[in-house]
Amino acid sequence: MGPLIPQGIITGQWDFVIALLIGAAFGFILEASGFSSSRNIVGVFYGYNFVVLRVFFTAMIVAMVGLLFFSYFGWIDLNLVFVLPTYVNAMLLGGFIMGLGFVIGGFCPGTSYTAVAIGKIDGMVFTVGTFIGVLIFSEAFPLFENFYTANNLGGITIGEMFSVTNEVVAFIFVLMAIVAFYVTWLIEKKVRKNMTEYKFE
Amino acid sequence: MNRNYIFLATLMILLAAGLLILPERHNYQQIKPEDLMWDIVQTQRYVTTDQVAQMIIEGDPTLELIDVRSAKEFESFSLTNTINIPLDSLMSPNYSDYLGIEDINVVFYSNDDIKADQAWVIAKRMGYNSLYVMDGGLNCWIKTIIKPIEPPETASLSEHDLYQFRKGASVYFTGAKIAAPDENNKASVKIVRRKKGAAVAGGC
Amino acid sequence: MNANSNMKNQPKYINPYFGGILLGILLLATFYLAGRGLSATGAVKLSVVTIMDKIAPVHTENNTFYSRFIPEDGSSPMFNWLVFAAIGTLFGGMLSGAIFGRLKKLRIEHSPKISARTRLIAAGIGGILFGIGSQFGRGCSSGAALSGTASLSLGGLIVMALMFGIGYVFAYFFRKLWI
Repeated sequence: MGPLIPQGIITGQWDFVIALLIGAAFGFILEASGFSSSRNIVGVFYGYNFVVLRVFFTAMIVAMVGLLFFSYFGWIDLNLVFVLPTYVNAMLLGGFIMGLGFVIGGFCPGTSYTAVAIGKIDGMVFTVGTFIGVLIFSEAFPLFENFYTANNLGGITIGEMFSVTNEVVAFIFVLMAIVAFYVTWLIEKKVRKNMTEYKFE
Repeated sequence: MNRNYIFLATLMILLAAGLLILPERHNYQQIKPEDLMWDIVQTQRYVTTDQVAQMIIEGDPTLELIDVRSAKEFESFSLTNTINIPLDSLMSPNYSDYLGIEDINVVFYSNDDIKADQAWVIAKRMGYNSLYVMDGGLNCWIKTIIKPIEPPETASLSEHDLYQFRKGASVYFTGAKIAAPDENNKASVKIVRRKKGAAVAGGC
Repeated sequence: MNANSNMKNQPKYINPYFGGILLGILLLATFYLAGRGLSATGAVKLSVVTIMDKIAPVHTENNTFYSRFIPEDGSSPMFNWLVFAAIGTLFGGMLSGAIFGRLKKLRIEHSPKISARTRLIAAGIGGILFGIGSQFGRGCSSGAALSGTASLSLGGLIVMALMFGIGYVFAYFFRKLWI
């Protein structure tokens, strides 16, 4: 059965229509959850608003468990699903830089699009920034080409790394997510008590 | 705390725990029963021992011979460059790397062609293609390639040609007995264009 | 779970868990349809490649990073799944903003402690950092951290853990920007 497009079950230009629709749903969900506001997003780092953590972790465990169930029932061939290859060095650096960019800029690229869509100038500046960032990276690429591909582990999964099954990994993620939801709820309550005014836009 | 959240959290944990306790299940890509029936009654899956012999002698890189007999039988006698996959472990994931390789023709053989035919059906149902069965199996191999019978003088020229080929092949497989292939070489596959037009035919 | 009662001007957002479940189902549907997850920076990368290819084709050909994204058949790199998805994201955000009444005139959202100018500079720096970081990390928060981890990729987990972890480490130094 699935995935449909890599197996040629959906072909031609239809996949671009689907891309457009999936993108639209993505933008809608992000905006409706409040990701078009950077102060909303960054609340996760200061304890006054954990919406990012909630949406992010819920989406992750739903998709993860769903994917494993789909695979179990034979609806999707996990071997055909793209597993992001792991380049340890480059990803550690990338995660570091993005974390810094996250707390300074207050958006991530996907959410900045929705901020642009509802007319936020800071979102537009952020988006232009990502273009400049990619440009800087590409122009300087020859300098760190070796670093970029160093320590390549290929399409390794978390389960393969720690030699447990995917199901165990998913179960642990679900438990961790639910504990995180509870703890952050407690933190948020405490922090918000001391904040009387916090204006969203 | 809101009761709905507790309910949702419990549901999520139960779903994830469900994944852990579900019995193992394999989802093999199977072909449709009608297609399989159609393929079974066709005879194109059979290749003659002569064709196999010629391919081995020429070192045809697209040929992958699979011996479906037991490991013990395989030890005592087997063809050159053969992979041993006993019939009962054909579906084991250890061997799945040997099947379904692009541009590779898999030829099953056993002592006769019954076990090889079974292997063919199983592999076909697992969704693999380019599968063949050596007609007559090793019994036919011995009869035609190892100990060919000289045709009577009145036989046609082509039969004599065939005999000559078998005679040569017999020398190749018995007299000039090559060193047993080492383990590592068995699975290595080089893709070279396949030569067209095998001149040999006939058999059991 | 309603700690919002003492907040003024609380805008109407959907329940975050509901949003998360929707996003999870969307991600699952994306895996089912396309065999890959969601992505946001892929479109930026392809746009940059396209623009640079128009301006300086020889330069892009010599650069090993650009050249891997230019299709060999001469078609435009923009004719790609990622680009269409990004355009869709823009429309989807606009639709949601219109429905919930957030689609308004151009404005800058910033903490009362900083000027609009400071906010824009910070946003620009953040964007540049994200642009660079997403190329090292093989995807941004949606492509690597969310989709990568959901498809059980080790790399996705690394990016996610580092991104949030570093965010917390540096949060203290940039608190003036936000609270």
